[in-house]
Amino acid sequence: MSAVYTTDEYGRPFIIVREQDKKARTSGIEATKAHIMAAKTVANIVRTSLGPRGLDKVLISPDGDITISNDGATIMSQMAIENQIGRLLVELSKSQDDEIGDGTTGIVVLAGALLEQAEELLDRGIHPIRISDGFEQACKIAVAHLDQVSDVIPWSKSDTGDLFKCAKTSLGSKIVNKCHDQFAQIAVDAVLAVADLERKDVDFELIKMEGKVGGELADTELVRGVIIDKDFSHPQMPKVVKDARIAILTCPFEPPKPKTKHKLDITSVKEFEELQKYERDAFEGMVRRVKECGANIVACQWGFDDEANSLLLQHRLPAIRWVGGPEVELLAIATNGRIVPRFEDLSSEKLGRAGTVREVAYGTTNESMIVVEDCANSKAVTVFVRGGNKMIVEEAKRSLHDAMCVVRNLIVDNRVVYGGAAAEISCSLAVEREADQVSTIEQYAMRSFARALDAIPMALAENSGLPPIETLSFVKSQQVALGVSSLGVDCMDTGISDMKRQFVFDPLISKRQQFLLATQLVKMILKIDDVIVHKNDNQE
Amino acid sequence: MLRRQAAPPPQNSPRRSLWAVYKSVEPRHRVLLGMAFMGFSMLGLWVSDKLEELLPPPAESRVTQPQVIVLKEGTDTSQGVPQLLSNIAACLAVCDTIRTTLGPRGMDKLIVDSQGRVTISNDGATIMKLLDVVQPAARTLVDIARAQDAEVGDGTTSVVLLAGELLKEVREHIEEGVGPQVIIKGLRRAAELAIGRIRELAVSVDRSDRAEFRALLEKCAATSMNSKLIGSQKEFFTKIVVDAVTRLDQDELNEDMIGIKKIPGGAMQDSLLVDGVAFKKSFSYAGFEQQPKAFDAPRIVCLNVELELKAEKDNAEVRVDKVSEYQAVVDAEWKIIFDKLDAILAAGANVVLSRLPIGDLATQYFADRNVFCAGRVSKDDLDRVCEATGCRVQSTTTGLAAAHLGTCERFEERQVGGQRFNIFRGCPQAKTCTIILRGGAEQFIDEVERSLHDSIMVVRRAVKNQSVVAGGGAIEMELSRYLREAARQIEGKQQLVIAAAARALEVIPRQLCENAGFDTTDFITQLRARHAQDPERAKWHGVDIAEEVVADMFAKFVWEPALVKINAIASAVEAACLILSVDETVTTQKSQDPMAAGQPMRR
Repeated sequence: MSAVYTTDEYGRPFIIVREQDKKARTSGIEATKAHIMAAKTVANIVRTSLGPRGLDKVLISPDGDITISNDGATIMSQMAIENQIGRLLVELSKSQDDEIGDGTTGIVVLAGALLEQAEELLDRGIHPIRISDGFEQACKIAVAHLDQVSDVIPWSKSDTGDLFKCAKTSLGSKIVNKCHDQFAQIAVDAVLAVADLERKDVDFELIKMEGKVGGELADTELVRGVIIDKDFSHPQMPKVVKDARIAILTCPFEPPKPKTKHKLDITSVKEFEELQKYERDAFEGMVRRVKECGANIVACQWGFDDEANSLLLQHRLPAIRWVGGPEVELLAIATNGRIVPRFEDLSSEKLGRAGTVREVAYGTTNESMIVVEDCANSKAVTVFVRGGNKMIVEEAKRSLHDAMCVVRNLIVDNRVVYGGAAAEISCSLAVEREADQVSTIEQYAMRSFARALDAIPMALAENSGLPPIETLSFVKSQQVALGVSSLGVDCMDTGISDMKRQFVFDPLISKRQQFLLATQLVKMILKIDDVIVHKNDNQE
Repeated sequence: MLRRQAAPPPQNSPRRSLWAVYKSVEPRHRVLLGMAFMGFSMLGLWVSDKLEELLPPPAESRVTQPQVIVLKEGTDTSQGVPQLLSNIAACLAVCDTIRTTLGPRGMDKLIVDSQGRVTISNDGATIMKLLDVVQPAARTLVDIARAQDAEVGDGTTSVVLLAGELLKEVREHIEEGVGPQVIIKGLRRAAELAIGRIRELAVSVDRSDRAEFRALLEKCAATSMNSKLIGSQKEFFTKIVVDAVTRLDQDELNEDMIGIKKIPGGAMQDSLLVDGVAFKKSFSYAGFEQQPKAFDAPRIVCLNVELELKAEKDNAEVRVDKVSEYQAVVDAEWKIIFDKLDAILAAGANVVLSRLPIGDLATQYFADRNVFCAGRVSKDDLDRVCEATGCRVQSTTTGLAAAHLGTCERFEERQVGGQRFNIFRGCPQAKTCTIILRGGAEQFIDEVERSLHDSIMVVRRAVKNQSVVAGGGAIEMELSRYLREAARQIEGKQQLVIAAAARALEVIPRQLCENAGFDTTDFITQLRARHAQDPERAKWHGVDIAEEVVADMFAKFVWEPALVKINAIASAVEAACLILSVDETVTTQKSQDPMAAGQPMRR
């Protein structure tokens, strides 16, 4: 392109753009093609992890940390993609993760498929903007169709059967499907415990995930309370406290110090002794205050020295020190206590209450944790994940997070569509029908959109070891013949292709979001015809 | 005889020095010899002069020549018509870069800067800025794009294209030897005529008719969105933009009062307009979750006070003489912060916002008393809260009274995407609003924000100045026809220049067609013919991209504020004139200071 390097009529070269020799530039149709190429490559990487029979990926970070994951967003973000278009796809799956939490693989596969279709159209000489207009129209039809085929699933606090099934669909593709039911139940229970049903709001900050290596996945449990990864400050303190009243402190267990810089001149032995006495008095005063207000356990955000520690032991006050900020908050919420910033403010109504507080030791590693159970307020829960190794624990946490997101979405909006790519196939049929009625070039783009939607059932079938084209055509013909939109790819080989009977559900908003986001991103990529990259010096 | 020949003086013939030989020559011969010598050296000088003219020495060897050094070593000077032409070539090259972004079928550019930040944009000013142009003449174009952006916000691509096209059209006149000043005069004349014509043609909409006025604003907003990524969601976003602008104080129209918050995730259609203020939850300390998260008719106080237990003065030091005083100092410190907190509570506030941090102590204090607080709120957010709720930022808590508090209908903390937002709704004096943008990727939202900014600016302009013209190249074609006719009545070189300006204006419809992939020549000739045949009826005919025909764009509701066009033409002509008036560039060599680099001295 001439703008980068130009010579005038007299043959003198002149520079227009700063450091132009360091800038790479592609433009026109090649730029678009290069983008599509990059996006396709990225999409192909995650393609095989789609569906219940999808496979996992091992990702090794530069520091040698190993991550094994099936979650699209995790894989994408760990890959450290350099290419700008690839990075856009990463962002895409990340925003699906932020908003919905599930379906992060599907969205990338869909975007990749759309771009692949767009490439063919470009080869036929259709203007990229026309293509993206067509995609937009098709997307509108597909989203409207999703609304039509969606079903409302009834649920209430007591009847969570359908929520459970949705959680199961989400967990289906993950490593934890060995303990499928158990994990799904944990996800449903955890979300329902913290959900504000009137405002339809779920605050995930109230659900804490703790993981410990050891044991097996089946040992994973939901604690209706808080787990603090700390132990009692003195080994001789009692390991179990029943009917606990907890003083939650954010001040250190030491004589109060002014924050202003200060200096105390000690000139005589007497003064020194006085200081000693003051410190001891301060300690005793504190312990006394705690004792007086009726607390039988102390959780402190800061540490305290050995002198205070032994004093506490003498007064039979089990204490936990160095409790992190978020944990202090969770503890306060769970036990209905108040966080007390100084000893003077302690009073009995500010104490948190819990049925049991116990220190639990795990395995032979001398590691222990404090479990606070039967709390006054069950709004804060902790999922305690166990697993054979660190990778599994981490992956289990991510899977649970996805499942919980699904449940949350259903609480917000309880409409579902059918999984197993049933919704995609049905939308694909709808778009194709509508496409025939469009008189302009967009018709082609709409048909391509329908074909791109078919990529999801194809990938599902492929990953499940089924013949992709046969399966797709079979399901499609069945959907048209029977007029039932809940027919999908039977990944688990159960012989039932009606997803309604197999109870494979996806939240409507998740699918809708996938379609909308993928289309918008593809439109954005198609609209770029010029790329100016400023190379870094170290890359050259 | 023989003897004389046979025995020459041995010491004379081989040992005679040159001087001796010279002396032995006759005086007459000596003069001749001297003159021949002088003649030879003159010839040598002349030949070397000629050679130098034929083969110009490389630049660095010039230094060795005896010359008077006026400018700093390494300074590059070039001048005259060649310089002018090379400046024009540079400007055209820059124009080529952004040419393809014009119009509804315009494409975007992806620019990665040296820090690896990715920008995808369709906005002329943004692209020009990121191109990092150093050629001094071409930088003028960057400047006019930015000026247009600051002044009217939209039409940044058109202004650059127009300036480039003007230069291209007058280039042949420069080559033919027409003085640049004559051309400049002509261009200025053309601009005057064109702007006058726009004023004549512009259609005013009566502001008193609310519905019609709103329709006008919506159409202007929609036209500016056409070329952007959000083009397909036009109806949705025009409503947001027009609502946002009409909500502002109609006299001031301060765009800072429209907050735009970007949250990745969700689709574009999930964007929403909040009739009040919304901002992201700031960092919070333990105890925050125990605070109430929703209030009806909250009593809001905005502070610029640090609510934290801290050293009062950094360099102060307390000297404690007695141990017993120790506790007194501690208590004094506690008292300072508790006094502040009590004062806030006494005033009756239940939502406390502060620009400075609110510490854990204060957070827990408020949680205990059912008060919501948020620290480290950014200044513009706080300003908007003040504007919306009618409170004032307080720098102290002493003397805080109920009169200093603001209120609104409802306050709540809500989950939007992956983040929690503090939202104030239904504000009494809501001269402010917040647009929450959603989108698939960060770059995507950034571009949506830029597009919305453009539309907001256009709508703002339209509110102030209600006259509109038709877009889609219609007004440019009409101006082109008008100028061509006007040119015929002018004698002299000016006629040529104004005719050139008329041709240059056609670049807008031409580029629109080209980007959409239409047959450019066909459309332009058709447009020209229509405008020439029936100037009155066909005055709003332009390119209808959606239908691929030449149509009346005014009837199609592709409207643009007249001010955008006036400003575009005025600044494009200004820039062209500026570039034409330069005939020498003096570039001082890069100095140590990187800021001084590329700052040319123009003469």
